[in-house]
Amino acid sequence: MQRTSFYIGFALLILCTGCNKYLETEPDNRALINTPQKVSQLLATAYPQAGYASFAETMSDNVTDIGVGPQERVITDPYLFVDSRDNNEDSPEFYWNACYKAIAAANQALASIKVSGDTSAYTAQKGEALVARAYAHFMLVNFFATFYNEATAASDPGIPYVTEPETIVIKQYDRMTVKYVYDMVEKDLFEGVGLINDNSYSVPKYHFTRSAAYAFASRFYLFKKDYAKVIQYANMVVPNNDFASNLRPWNTTYNDISDVNTLMRTYAKATENANLLLVETESLWARNAVNNRYGLDASIQSTLFKRPEPLSGGNWAIKLYSINSDHKLVPKIDEYFVRVTVNAEIGNAYVMVPLLTVEEVLFNRAEAYAYTGNSAGAIADLNTYASKRMLNYSATTNIITAAKINAVYGTTNIRDGIIRAILDYKRSEFVHEGMRWFDILRYGLTVTHKTQEGQTLVLTANDPRKVLQIPSSAALSGVAQNPR
Amino acid sequence: MQRSNFLNRRNREHRNFLLFTILLLLTVRLSAHPLPGNALVKTHVVTTKDFTLLADTTIRGRITAKDGSVLPGVSVTVKGKQTGTTTNMDGVFVLSGVASNATIIISNVGYETMEVKVAGGRTAFNLVMESAANTLQDVVVTGFQSIDKKKFTGAAVTLKAVDVKMDGYTDVSRMLEGRAAGVSVQNVSSTFGSAPKVRIRGATSINGDNKPLWVVDGVVLEDIVNISNDQLSSGDPTTLLGSSVAGINSNDIESFDILKDAAATALYGARAMNGVVVITTKKGRTGKPSINYVGNFSTQLKPMYADYNIMNSAEQMSVLGELERKGILTSDILSQSNWGVYGKMYSLLQLDANGNFPLQNTTEAKAAYLKNYALANTDWYDVLFRNSLMQEHSLSISSGTDKSQHFFSTSFYNDNGWTVADNVKRYTLNFRNNYTFSDRLTAGFLTTGSVRQQKVPGTLKRVSNPVSGEFNRDFDINPFSFALNSSRTLTAYDDQGDLNYYQRNFAPFNILKELENNYIDINVIDLKLQGELGYKLTKHLKYEFIGALRYVKSSQEHQITENSNMANAYRAASTSSIRERNQFLYRDPDVPGAQPVVVLPYGGFYNRAEDKLLNFDVRNSLNYVNTFAEKHSLNLLLGQQIKYADRQNFSNIGYGYQYDNGGVPFVDYRILKQTIEASFPYYDLTKNADRFAAFYFNAQYTYDRKYNFYGTVRYDGSNQLGSSRTARWLPTWSFGGAWNLDEEKVMQDLNWLDLLKLRASYGLTASLGPATNSSYVLNSATTNRTFPTERESVINLTYLENADLTWEKNYQTNIGLDGGLFRGKVNFSLDVYSRTSFDLISRFKTAGIGGEAYKSANYADMTSKGAEILIGGQVIKRKDWGWRTNLTFGYNNTKISNAKNLPLIFDLVKAEGGNTEGYPVNGLFSIKFDGLNHATGVPQFINEEGKSSNDVYLQSDSIAYLKYEGPVDPTITGGFSNTFNYKSFSLNVFVTYQFGNKIRLYPVFKTDYSDYDALPKEFNDRWEIPGDELITNVPSVLDAYYKTLQQGASPYNNYNYSTERVADGGFVRLKTVSLSYNLPGDALKRIGFNSLSITGAAINPWLIYSDPKLKGQDPEFFNSGGVAQPISKQFTLSVKLGL
Repeated sequence: MQRTSFYIGFALLILCTGCNKYLETEPDNRALINTPQKVSQLLATAYPQAGYASFAETMSDNVTDIGVGPQERVITDPYLFVDSRDNNEDSPEFYWNACYKAIAAANQALASIKVSGDTSAYTAQKGEALVARAYAHFMLVNFFATFYNEATAASDPGIPYVTEPETIVIKQYDRMTVKYVYDMVEKDLFEGVGLINDNSYSVPKYHFTRSAAYAFASRFYLFKKDYAKVIQYANMVVPNNDFASNLRPWNTTYNDISDVNTLMRTYAKATENANLLLVETESLWARNAVNNRYGLDASIQSTLFKRPEPLSGGNWAIKLYSINSDHKLVPKIDEYFVRVTVNAEIGNAYVMVPLLTVEEVLFNRAEAYAYTGNSAGAIADLNTYASKRMLNYSATTNIITAAKINAVYGTTNIRDGIIRAILDYKRSEFVHEGMRWFDILRYGLTVTHKTQEGQTLVLTANDPRKVLQIPSSAALSGVAQNPR
Repeated sequence: MQRSNFLNRRNREHRNFLLFTILLLLTVRLSAHPLPGNALVKTHVVTTKDFTLLADTTIRGRITAKDGSVLPGVSVTVKGKQTGTTTNMDGVFVLSGVASNATIIISNVGYETMEVKVAGGRTAFNLVMESAANTLQDVVVTGFQSIDKKKFTGAAVTLKAVDVKMDGYTDVSRMLEGRAAGVSVQNVSSTFGSAPKVRIRGATSINGDNKPLWVVDGVVLEDIVNISNDQLSSGDPTTLLGSSVAGINSNDIESFDILKDAAATALYGARAMNGVVVITTKKGRTGKPSINYVGNFSTQLKPMYADYNIMNSAEQMSVLGELERKGILTSDILSQSNWGVYGKMYSLLQLDANGNFPLQNTTEAKAAYLKNYALANTDWYDVLFRNSLMQEHSLSISSGTDKSQHFFSTSFYNDNGWTVADNVKRYTLNFRNNYTFSDRLTAGFLTTGSVRQQKVPGTLKRVSNPVSGEFNRDFDINPFSFALNSSRTLTAYDDQGDLNYYQRNFAPFNILKELENNYIDINVIDLKLQGELGYKLTKHLKYEFIGALRYVKSSQEHQITENSNMANAYRAASTSSIRERNQFLYRDPDVPGAQPVVVLPYGGFYNRAEDKLLNFDVRNSLNYVNTFAEKHSLNLLLGQQIKYADRQNFSNIGYGYQYDNGGVPFVDYRILKQTIEASFPYYDLTKNADRFAAFYFNAQYTYDRKYNFYGTVRYDGSNQLGSSRTARWLPTWSFGGAWNLDEEKVMQDLNWLDLLKLRASYGLTASLGPATNSSYVLNSATTNRTFPTERESVINLTYLENADLTWEKNYQTNIGLDGGLFRGKVNFSLDVYSRTSFDLISRFKTAGIGGEAYKSANYADMTSKGAEILIGGQVIKRKDWGWRTNLTFGYNNTKISNAKNLPLIFDLVKAEGGNTEGYPVNGLFSIKFDGLNHATGVPQFINEEGKSSNDVYLQSDSIAYLKYEGPVDPTITGGFSNTFNYKSFSLNVFVTYQFGNKIRLYPVFKTDYSDYDALPKEFNDRWEIPGDELITNVPSVLDAYYKTLQQGASPYNNYNYSTERVADGGFVRLKTVSLSYNLPGDALKRIGFNSLSITGAAINPWLIYSDPKLKGQDPEFFNSGGVAQPISKQFTLSVKLGL
């Protein structure tokens, strides 16, 4: 009997080890990461697939209460400067989640690379992962923490900077400081940008190419006010520094497109040179931007697109449309609707968003030139821009000069004039895209929103509501909300 | 007083038991050290020889079962004497030395004990034994073991198939309704192949499966596709593969054993949380071949308008008149996708192809046209349903010798369809052989197969739209919901007797034509091979092997011909406004300013879905049985099990198949381009692999037939949680004790007490939850980008690693008392239990920082409590007549004690109910109705902010203002069965009941109604003028102007989810009435039959009680369209013949 027990025990032992192998079969169609190509596929999701334009634009001075049109909470709340009560597409919480989802993909890619051991084959992937991780954190810190201010950054609470995959259900995180986040962004960006290899991408425009990474660097250093580095990186974005032929051709090709749908679709197309980094976002912004009660009306439109445009004296080539006569739009936000089944009438709406563009880099460089005392360089960049935006542009009559700038802005300080010109051009160029919000943050601009009910809501320079509220569920992970 | 004594004693038992169990579990070598003072005792076999000297007379006889098969091994004893014998292999016994006035007692496991008087010099007996129903002199089959009920410590119910079988019902799972206390069966749909909602002792899990494990002949019956709780009532075509027992011929079943508590289900370890139903099929019997034939002929009654609350065509027409006056039914509706009578009128006012006006545009002509339809009063039930004929023929042959037994059966089931659009054929085959090669070696082989061919109306998957709070199913042509929802002003045929067309999806539509041209063919092949081997290593130690291979293949061919509305919808482009609105047309994004064009110029669709299952299950075990010193009986079981199941699902869309044109596909490349540009896969393949391994050890010990102890440990491993090794394994355990009070000396003097047993058990069981991320999960996907050229294959990080992921678990305590009184006149069984489920998978909102905004983790707990009562018995038993009764009652109450999920309003108000902390599983909530608007009659509610409003944001997670109505699952279920027999007649009346649940009424209110919709009669009481809100709660029909004022709110849909639209789910149903006639034995002998019986049965003939608010809505049925059908009134004639 004893011997029998021994045999049984021994057999069970063998079975047990066999069992573990047997139980290693994956239960479903899940993917495994075991080649550089697969890491690349994972990294295609390391970009925040959510739009910030909706809330950033609606909080800005580009919108007003038109008085008619549907009211979606996701638009109403930002317009009224109250913390968003919605967590669906286009809400700050949705964007928060998407950024951290992107970061998780990047961190998983980095972890997989580490496990593979064969790091040399994964150099390009590592570069993309680091830059993508830096980008998502950078966007988060600018929206959800006090905007970078060198004097207070070391004490202002930041946002959790995540560098490894989460493996437990609820993990505790520390917000650290804004400075810490900026330092980490810089570290990841610096380490990653050198490793990027454009040839590793099948659809480069949806990934951080070197150009896109430099463009991101130019934005990062602009926000950090390190102007020399802004110029350094901006100069590396387009081949031969040829900004002119890489800007959006509004006064030529775009001007010839008569079909508005085609024009909208072209705006966020990969073949457009001006687009440096694109991302697909689940978003209803394409419809909300043009029919919501709070939006772009005729008066703001005429401020943005003056006829004639005062600096160049030309007329804007950017096409203006209106919907229901009250709502104005620039045709650039196109909806891609994916139905849940072939025959369904419901589905999910997507918008392709240019995250980084050549226009922005040009403006970043111009601003940096202005701050480094190179007014001529800055004005040259403004002229490059105008040459692609004014109808029938003439280099002689439409040229922008220091004198014109001083005259238009009624200043004798050319640097101030240039900055104001840049901010105005940017406001027009990026209408509907939410970029205005960053200038409002950077320069502490005041935003005033009026309502048809007679309310006047003012967002002052250091208004705490300029810092978006962190989702309340973050408390689970020990992350405190912003003061109100 | 008595109570506390009782408890003390139990506690002592409990303590002793614990000590003993520990002793048992710690050493496998126990059996090597016999208990002190034991001596092996040989069983004393009484032979006839021993008693020859005392002989008064010698009697002989033959004992058979009711079905004619011979019964070997039956015990025959003389009452009050030690004299006795057993029947031989031919069922024959010879007993000498019997006093001429003696009484002989004939008893056999599973049969009613008989007493026969040896009077009048009678020496030859031909006796037929009745099988015992619900008695405790039986064994419990757990699938791993067969345990004497006297020794069993768990809660289990054994049901003989002959007692619960409902002639004419094919799905065996539905037969359990009301038969066993604590087992609830809800017929959410009755279409062949769809599973009823079966719960043993209620729900144990919040998001995971709550269905029991089905075990057939010792092997777990794996599902072909896993249908989730909500899917069960969805009406989707896959639900027809939901019933895992649909391929089983109910005539092959011998018995059901329903295992309810932890001790009973212990050997299923980590799969047993929801209870186990063990099916044992028939075996061959020793004796000459016996042939049995069962024929069932059934018909179902058509539903009738009298049972439903739907306006007749005249009432309907007056509502349409109001809609016309309110500016809704203008000629504009011609450009809408759907129209009925009015749309047809406007279309007839237009010039036809011959240059005539089919209808003059005069008030008189139009009035005459409308009057004609107002008088139509179409009976859609009559048009779409028929009194079907279902027939089932089953033939079985049983034969055997003492060395080998064979059982063969085959059956054919044919249902020509309750509706004009469905039919089913099913063939089954079952072949079972058992061999005894030697004293040591036995073997058994089992082959079962079934083939199903089914036709159902074509349907697509339903899609939930949380924005408006509706479930959408495009192209739904379910005949039942069509009849319920289509206006009676519409007609199927016109005056000339030709099909009459209206418009749907911009294309002509006639339901009869559509059902002919849009259907799904379902084919299922299910094959199982099973082998069993037993080898006696020593006298007490036996090795057992059981291995099974099962292969199931099913295909769903959705055939949509070129004549169907669905195909023609792709070709509807007659006017520019239709072209603009028809979503099935294609606008080429590469062509600036492109016009929508038809991309399905010819043909229809051939859409195919296939499911495949390959399953192995292998078990090896050692069983040690011994009795020491007559008093210590010990049974040890040690085993190992491996399961392997591979599932595969494939589906694709076939465009342009030309059914009328030689079956040649014509594919316009643009329709594929459209599909691809819409980011929709035109084919899909998913594979799932289920690997499972387990080790188990079980010990049973009985002292002096009085005290029984039972303990099990099991160690399960599965790959379903993902590749982490730590999460993979789970130990479970249970123990129990039973005290046979009737064996105590004090009790033995009580003549009226047959049996009394007190039992208790406690244990841990588990189940796999719906989460598989013990390590991170990546899934391939394609991107949703506008331009196909910019898309790439990407990998999504679907789930983060959850290092703490584990199985859903449950502690169960059960205390039960079984008794038998007055020689079988009363049997009862009482159980109380409490269950604590923990580590349940709950989806909750995280900080999002890890990258997963909502996680599914083991973050929820729930408790459930319940009681079960079974009382029954052969109350009266006379020579010519008798009465047997059986009452079951089950109560179960669940409460989610902890769940961090944040349900949306829509999750809680939908008909299936939702889950939130502090409430039962699947609790139903309602939006509070707050009266009708004085000016418009639009319903008002307390919205998510606690304010009165016409608009409730269904996607809000602010649920504080909802009203809790009650659980969707009944808390009380049961049945009451009575069988009366008089001579050869037997009448059975069976009533089922359930109470304690709430149901949502069908959603009939909409913002706008078309001339297509049928309206319920409530609309007669609708708000019509201001002031009506004081006397009615039925909202108004909105006019065109007020409709525009709703600004995206959906008050009418909210009304469907309001407190006004809830009814009580309790009901009492006369489930079956059947009358049987058994031809008397002598008459049969003359014509050479062993048995012949004829039964007439009515199934579901009468819903005795239900909430009057339901107005014809079946309290069990979810009318979700698709392939769902309610249960019907069915009448069956059944013929059983034995040769």
